Amino acid sequence: MNYVGTSRVLISAILVASGGAAPAAIPAGGEGFTTRVAPFFKDNCIKCHGPEKSKGKMALHTLDGDLAAGRDLERWEKILKELKSGEMPPEDEKQPTDSERNALIGWIESGMRQFASKAGPANPTPTARRLTNFEYQNTMRDLLGFELKLISSLPEDPVKPYHFNNTAEFMLIGPEQMDRYLECARRAMASVIVDPGDPKVHRTAQTFPAGKKAQGNGGERGVEIGVYAGPGQGEQSIALKDWPKTGEFKIRLKASAILPPAAMEVPLRLVMGTLLRSDAGSGVYEPVGTVHLRNDPAQAREFEFRGRIENIPVEPGAITTKGRQPPRIFIYLQNIFDNGELNDHRKSAFDASWSSEAPRVLLESLEFEAPVADVWPPEHHTRILFDSPLRKSNPEAYAREVITRFATRAFRRTPKSDEVERLVQIHRIFAKDFDTLEGAMRETLAMVLISPQFLYHTVAQDGVASRQYELASKLSYFLWGSMPDDELMTLAAQGRLDDPAVIAAQVRRLLADKRSGDFVNNFTTQWLSLSKMKTVSINRDLFPRFLYLVHVGERHGTEVLFRSTIRDYMHDETVGFVAELIKRNSSVLNIVDSDFAFLNQPLAAHYGVPGVQGLELRPVPVKPEHHLGGLLTQGSVLIGNSTGSAPHPIYRAVWLREAILGEDVKPPPAEVPALSDSAGDAAAKAITIKDLLRQHRKQESCNVCHASLDPWGIPFEKYNATGKFQPMVPKAGARVRGYNEKTDKDLAGYAAYLKAINTVEVHADARVPRGPTIDGMEQLKAFLLKERKDDIGENVLRRLLSYSMGRGLTYRDSFQVEQLCSQTKKNDYRFQDMIIAICQSEVFRGRPKP
Amino acid sequence: MKQKSWHLNRREFLRGSGMALALPFLESMGLAKAVAGKELPKRMVVSYFAYGAYMPDSKDGMPIADNPHHDWNWWPCKDAGPLTFNKSAAPFEPLKEYVSYLRGLDHAGGYGLGGHSSGDVFGTGANMSGDEKTNNISIDQLAAKINGHRTRYPSLVLGTEGGTGSYGFSKTLSHYGPGRPIPSMQNPQEIFNRMFQPYAGSSVEQVRARLKRDASVLDLMLEQSKSLNNRLGKADQEKMGEYLDTVRAIEKRVESTSQWTHEPLPNVDATKLNLEVPYKAAQEYIRCMYDLLYFAFQTDSTRYATLMLESEQSQSNEMWNYATYVLGYKGATHDIAHKRPIESGHWDNWRAQQHAYFLQRLRDTKEGEGNMLDRTVVLWGSAHPHGSHSTKNYPIHLAGGNTLGFKHGKLHGFEGAKKVPLANLYVSMLNAVDVPTEKFADSTGAMTNMFA
Repeated sequence: MNYVGTSRVLISAILVASGGAAPAAIPAGGEGFTTRVAPFFKDNCIKCHGPEKSKGKMALHTLDGDLAAGRDLERWEKILKELKSGEMPPEDEKQPTDSERNALIGWIESGMRQFASKAGPANPTPTARRLTNFEYQNTMRDLLGFELKLISSLPEDPVKPYHFNNTAEFMLIGPEQMDRYLECARRAMASVIVDPGDPKVHRTAQTFPAGKKAQGNGGERGVEIGVYAGPGQGEQSIALKDWPKTGEFKIRLKASAILPPAAMEVPLRLVMGTLLRSDAGSGVYEPVGTVHLRNDPAQAREFEFRGRIENIPVEPGAITTKGRQPPRIFIYLQNIFDNGELNDHRKSAFDASWSSEAPRVLLESLEFEAPVADVWPPEHHTRILFDSPLRKSNPEAYAREVITRFATRAFRRTPKSDEVERLVQIHRIFAKDFDTLEGAMRETLAMVLISPQFLYHTVAQDGVASRQYELASKLSYFLWGSMPDDELMTLAAQGRLDDPAVIAAQVRRLLADKRSGDFVNNFTTQWLSLSKMKTVSINRDLFPRFLYLVHVGERHGTEVLFRSTIRDYMHDETVGFVAELIKRNSSVLNIVDSDFAFLNQPLAAHYGVPGVQGLELRPVPVKPEHHLGGLLTQGSVLIGNSTGSAPHPIYRAVWLREAILGEDVKPPPAEVPALSDSAGDAAAKAITIKDLLRQHRKQESCNVCHASLDPWGIPFEKYNATGKFQPMVPKAGARVRGYNEKTDKDLAGYAAYLKAINTVEVHADARVPRGPTIDGMEQLKAFLLKERKDDIGENVLRRLLSYSMGRGLTYRDSFQVEQLCSQTKKNDYRFQDMIIAICQSEVFRGRPKP
Repeated sequence: MKQKSWHLNRREFLRGSGMALALPFLESMGLAKAVAGKELPKRMVVSYFAYGAYMPDSKDGMPIADNPHHDWNWWPCKDAGPLTFNKSAAPFEPLKEYVSYLRGLDHAGGYGLGGHSSGDVFGTGANMSGDEKTNNISIDQLAAKINGHRTRYPSLVLGTEGGTGSYGFSKTLSHYGPGRPIPSMQNPQEIFNRMFQPYAGSSVEQVRARLKRDASVLDLMLEQSKSLNNRLGKADQEKMGEYLDTVRAIEKRVESTSQWTHEPLPNVDATKLNLEVPYKAAQEYIRCMYDLLYFAFQTDSTRYATLMLESEQSQSNEMWNYATYVLGYKGATHDIAHKRPIESGHWDNWRAQQHAYFLQRLRDTKEGEGNMLDRTVVLWGSAHPHGSHSTKNYPIHLAGGNTLGFKHGKLHGFEGAKKVPLANLYVSMLNAVDVPTEKFADSTGAMTNMFA
């Protein structure tokens, strides 16, 4: 049979084969269906997709042949996809001729086109939906002017692998949620509007006399802080007994770095919260900031941290025989140095034999002050309760103006007069119960924050003006996950947001703003299903030094609390990598392979890339011997799709097909026994996964799906369960023992043992369906870039478009998508340009109203 | 309702004596309510444990006829019929006339969800791989909708991990309707405060005034939403119905809360509960949750409750380590489900001990002619048989409700050619607590066997 790789290849192959002679066209509509289409199905499909069997829940004998009527379009779309990709009929079944196949494709497409043009712009998919928690948090931040952590008191948003959750289907509101929204709104108002009069300023100061030591050698000027090894080790704590309920705080500290010759800096992290107990792990804290100290003790410097006191968890105060003790807040200063080799010692980084050689922080003094009262009342207050003679002369007019200004920002548009009027009435009700305008306004504006006008994205049916504001919101919620800023609102007011040049300039501006980091993180995490990585439990016997584990005491063997591990950095690596592609306006095809990786020192140590210093992630050029580049070799993906003991070719194959190629992979039927368990055993017993899969495929029920699935996962096999390149494994049947503190001494000792038993090269070769045999990652990447380029480009485009609109794409969108695809293809699928093209497209903006 | 002079003042009474000592006397208070013309309550609990239980069956989860019965099998005995108790089920032996095991039941709506996600539909039976992709109303919420106004709180939603979780990894059993999971409460202190000290220091008069004000503000908010709705397209209008429903539901709640301010708040002495128990103290924490549920019922603060004892995939939670804390098992709680006895059997037995503790507490508290367990139907189970992909043949354990018509003491086998949906049992449970429904999820009728 002739070799057919993909849709595009297929089509071009047909065109070439037919030598210009157009394939016999099928007559349009019902006539074509009865004379040509139905017989095609009967010959090629009905055996598996008919009244007898309906594999994949697809039966063709009940299809409505009148495409333009639009009744069975979802099914027709699936059929089209299968025909185009060449997935169906299966490789080992009788095949239709290329011209037959192509004629049918043409017939379906023209029928759908006819329907789409007839159906017009009216979109039956609802687009009204509440803000996601992520959007809510960001919007409140921009509305208030400071970050208030509200998200933790809201019910979590639903997440579905490979799906974006910002759709109407997922984002709903019920009474429980409204309660939480109201709670959040009141908390926000209590913080943003301050009481009249001057605030009481709370101060706590502490100096650290010479000679007192936290860890390591005695300090000559202050307290020395060694490497953080979990609560109580490598940190200095200061207890606060006195702080205001709300307000910004300021912490100033004087510190310097004691650096061994190899180190250039030491990161000092400041966190605040409750008592972190190393035994119970019951503390909660909020990170405030990290500074990288480079100055030596002779040049001690002051560093300042700021934050909101409302975000800091308070320790309720223990109950003792004397009754309940007063509540406290703890400030912790932690030396979070990490060179990626902290674990390479006998017990761990944290054993004393080594930590004295690590960089230390020298702390001399610390001062806490809250609220910061440089300007009082603070700007966030006067932005709402602005200065005006009206306040005294005409309180009701003042209230109306306050409400109008706030609602304009909260609703992301000019409020209608009846909307303002109702809020003024609400204010009247509250005014009776409160002594101050501040009190009544807090309650009134809290009601603004639980209005549907604030909580929902909606598209109004009236007026050109509202459309412009909606466009401003569409742009800002796509690229910032937040409300539009003043510039976008001004452009909306001027009615300029339909202008392609203005859109392009705005997209570039929004992407250059640091708020776009939220978009990239949110988008990438959901697109690539990155959160899976955290739910895989790493086999601690086989990978004794991948995580930071407590090596003594009651929590022995559990993870060191509150310390970022390589696994945490892997998330940042993937998100940072995508952000870098957008920033550079590189082709999205870089997700398959790139000439750089996005690393910091711990990640570089894990992957074996020399010469990277410090915790900050940055682009690093890759060489062939690193076996890196693109997303396919990133730990986040490889771990998330492993068993924690061994690679999992099926998970990896599913990931590749879903996230990169944009295909829909069916979950296994409920009756099928899990492969994961047996694969997990395989790592310890050294049975090759290929054999396991072969057994799995022997069952007829499994084979249908796995024959086209497994081959995509096999080329990943040389990357182990922690995402490291590991081409050698133990021979079949060998038992692998875990790390042994006594005999192995340190990580190098265990590595030597592993090297001695890893004598067999991993087989990473498989023949992909309708394609060649692919051996290993390099060949896989090359194959994808050669044969599946356009599928990958289209996939990224579809993901972005779907995310940007907050709805799934349907057949109605397919021709717009096609157009966008060919437009961006001409430009090598450059990332930033693709985003601009989306924002300029009519499908994103909606058709301008007449 | 005015307190009768002879009616015990609970606060003073409880302060003067220990809660445990107080219990026999409290019975007279319950009785007093009945005398005062209130009907005795009919209650329902749905509780869930994760990762299934040990039951060595065939791959599709169905029992194998010629398998010898195992001492550590979750099912207490081999054959359907009168109960005998193996090691795993031993804690329920003293409760023999109050418990039943039901084999071969499940929710077909969960089949497509895969092994670890079917817990999502345990309380709902929704067809999540079909036309109910965002789940649907749960059994307790349906009951609360019909009868919730009879108590201060329509329902109580508890879970050891708190919140809603996400699709496939629910941390709650309760759903208000499609796409609206109700966050479960996990913190004993918070549950106690919400349940027994809802006014948080304000006087009843202040609370009433506030509620009155809330009602007039809500009226305006409803108008505000309608005015937005009128400006939207048809599909969006339908979608916004959820917001209007929500405001109306809150209005109703304000009204009922306001009415309840005329009833005295119950007094439960917090010092007799270890409300600050750390999650790590597995047994004390789980029992504290059961105790809170017990007091909620005993004070008739609510009649319907769900309790997610364990959620699927709880890595970020202490639950993940419970098997370690309890049994010294080396590994995550999840992994134990994939083990053979004795580990998994001991784990099942530990869970049974905790659940039996709760049931016994209900049974040991007199109520009317019988005890509280007689009037409380308690479902306890999971959505997988054993550590496999299978989502068929759930472990299902039903207790109590004897006065409500349930007959206990048997293992019922429903495996066989004719499929009996688990939802049939739900219909019967609902009917038993005065929810006159004939259908729930994919039910095909009521579970008449349980009344015979």
